[in-house]
Amino acid sequence: MTAAAKLRLVGVGKHFNAGGKQDTVAVDDLTLDVRPGEFLVIVGPSGCGKTTVLNLLAGLDTPTHGSVAIDDRTITGPGPDRGVMFQDYALFPWQTVWGNVEFGLRYGPAGNGLDASAREARVRRTIDLVGLKGAEAKYPNQLSGGMRQRVALARLMANEPEVLLMDEPLAALDAQTRIILQDELLRIWGQDRPATERRTAVFITHAIDEAVFLADRVAVMTSHPGRLKAVIDIPLARPRGDATRALPEFQALTQHIWSLIRDEAYRATVA
Amino acid sequence: MNLDHPVARIGIGLLLPALLLCAWQAIGMAMHNPRTPLPTRIVAEAGTLIASGDLPRALLQSLGRVFAGFTVAAVIAIPLGLAMGNARSVERNVDPLVETFRPIAAIAILPLAILWLGTGTAAAVMIVAYAAFFPLVVNTVAGAKNVNPTLLQAAATMGLKRLTLIRTVVVPAALPSIGVGLRIALAVGWTAIVAAELAVGAKAGGGGSGGIGQMMFIFYAYSIELNRIIVCMIAVGLVALLLDRLLRVLMRAMTPWAQA
Amino acid sequence: MSAPATAVVRRVGVRRTHLGGFFVYLRTMTLFALFWAVVSWWTDNTILLPSPLAVLHALVALAGDLELFQHAAISLGRMVVSIGLASALAVPLGLAMGLYPLFDRIVDPTIEVLRPISGIAWIPLALFIFGIGNALPVFIMTYAAFFPILLGTILGVRTVDRRLVDAARTMGVPQRTIVTRVVIPAALPSLLVALRVGVALAWTAVVAAELIGAPSGLGYAVEWYRELLMTPQVMSFIAMIGVIGYLCDAAVRWLNRRFTPWAQAPR
Repeated sequence: MTAAAKLRLVGVGKHFNAGGKQDTVAVDDLTLDVRPGEFLVIVGPSGCGKTTVLNLLAGLDTPTHGSVAIDDRTITGPGPDRGVMFQDYALFPWQTVWGNVEFGLRYGPAGNGLDASAREARVRRTIDLVGLKGAEAKYPNQLSGGMRQRVALARLMANEPEVLLMDEPLAALDAQTRIILQDELLRIWGQDRPATERRTAVFITHAIDEAVFLADRVAVMTSHPGRLKAVIDIPLARPRGDATRALPEFQALTQHIWSLIRDEAYRATVA
Repeated sequence: MNLDHPVARIGIGLLLPALLLCAWQAIGMAMHNPRTPLPTRIVAEAGTLIASGDLPRALLQSLGRVFAGFTVAAVIAIPLGLAMGNARSVERNVDPLVETFRPIAAIAILPLAILWLGTGTAAAVMIVAYAAFFPLVVNTVAGAKNVNPTLLQAAATMGLKRLTLIRTVVVPAALPSIGVGLRIALAVGWTAIVAAELAVGAKAGGGGSGGIGQMMFIFYAYSIELNRIIVCMIAVGLVALLLDRLLRVLMRAMTPWAQA
Repeated sequence: MSAPATAVVRRVGVRRTHLGGFFVYLRTMTLFALFWAVVSWWTDNTILLPSPLAVLHALVALAGDLELFQHAAISLGRMVVSIGLASALAVPLGLAMGLYPLFDRIVDPTIEVLRPISGIAWIPLALFIFGIGNALPVFIMTYAAFFPILLGTILGVRTVDRRLVDAARTMGVPQRTIVTRVVIPAALPSLLVALRVGVALAWTAVVAAELIGAPSGLGYAVEWYRELLMTPQVMSFIAMIGVIGYLCDAAVRWLNRRFTPWAQAPR
């Protein structure tokens, strides 16, 4: 039904050698395709290796088994085609909001071919898009958690990467801010546009309702070792909003995924 | 080759010092001057100075002065720092005095100390005490002020009296910070004693003050024995290192909960 | 609601303690001067302990014929040159040691052997090499400031948040740009804190070095007037050493705030 995979993980394993002792298996035999323009959420309990999967896709880590590819090219390192949003944002504390958003355009290849005014226009547009107008001259330590999250999102979007990789970006926020930013995230990702014009997104979370709300598909992982348990389609209509959260289907999907993880967690406690 | 192997690490570490020493020895020998400092001559002079007892005697004299000055400073600074850290009124009234005198380097006081106390041990002790006083006060105050307020509340709910509270909660909580102050103070005191003895040797006509600093100066001023001066420098460095290690071990034993 | 009310109360309170702090400072120093005056009146020996007024008088006279400022300018000049030299040597070395572990392992033992030998212990050898003049205090101060700046730079580079480097890598930023735009800014706060220590140590060393081996400067002046038994002048120059020391520290703290505003405690 869709074109070839945008991202493809085949038989991927990641073993860590902890001080000469037995290997720790973070990820074991994981095969997963991410389709172009889809919003894929990986959900699972802590220790299931979901952050490792994201690092492998980002090229910050290399698999010990199997292969990771983008557009059928093996990923050998980080690149501007895949933008990353880190768990606690990793904003440059010495750069203002503007400087953080501009960073990749100024020092990386994403800004190649842009002159100063085009660059400024892009930064301006991105800052307005995430609702940071007026905060351009502030430093990250002067911002609230929600604002920092917006800066991280703007920094990611300004580079216009083909793939968005997001590692629990909302985990550090309080519940209300989190709901607001879930809505914003979908808007900025482009859920109002036709599916063919959206960017491919991989999003990590341990919150099941968040996964269901955001995702086209949810990949459920289990821990010790990290394995893919199931991939669930989320056929909820877009654009989604508060009404989506109240749908009976939403509740049913959330329940279903919870049951998958709960079984795994239960088995782990009696094993 | 595995660079992380312990043997490889030590080998890599010794590479540069060995190279430098060999180069020094080779260049020095090529100069054909019996006074040129050479690693081999330094080792020989060190042997002579230790065997004659001159070097140990001078070091012990300096160390004695450092400990005397250090003790004087600690006896005044730690209680004062605790009082300042616990009572806002004490801090507000005493802090101006501390902050006014703190930027004045201890060596600058030396001429006054000589004026008041002569060129002997008393002046040297005063310099060390002055130098050690400030890091001790500042770190004690910081330690006493940074006590977790919840701990104080917890102790207060148990009905402790103010002095008991200070003894049982504030002092232990401030101890790691006081330990840092003690280490800095000892290092600063040791530097100050060498400076004071050097200056006394240089300016007071070598009056009988003694100590490692004056010993160095005499080797410079009366005979220009560079090898012996370098022996003294190495001794000064070694003592500094030993004092620091000693205090570190001591603090680790006294504050096991504060170690990583 | 009570929130604005507390805010107002707190603001008034801050201003009051601020003003109050100045008065408390004056009160403490006045009491100190009074105590000093009484002791000097009681000892009645202008060489051992001149009165505060006599010192003030000497201070004004020394300031009037600019002698005070000439010596201060000389010491300060040596300080600036030494800190410049020490930074020029220590910062690149520290960057290299922080970035390249193998280089660090080669150089570190030599540094650790030299470090415990205080700058002041070099004075006799430096006297032989440089003689009495400008070179001696500059050498001693550069040596004294070198080690804290080096260690601060290494620490800064080593403790750079790994994820900041990762973030730049995922944007495809080249290695060299990562060093100049991520590693160096991230190491800057640690470097500037170390610079403060370096400046303090260098200032202690300059006084010792000038006392023994320079024909000018504040340390020289203190010793010169001691030999003449002119204690009010000795005390005036000691006070000047304190003032310049304080100003140097304030200057580095200003640099800290100016160049690393993000690393300051939130107001």
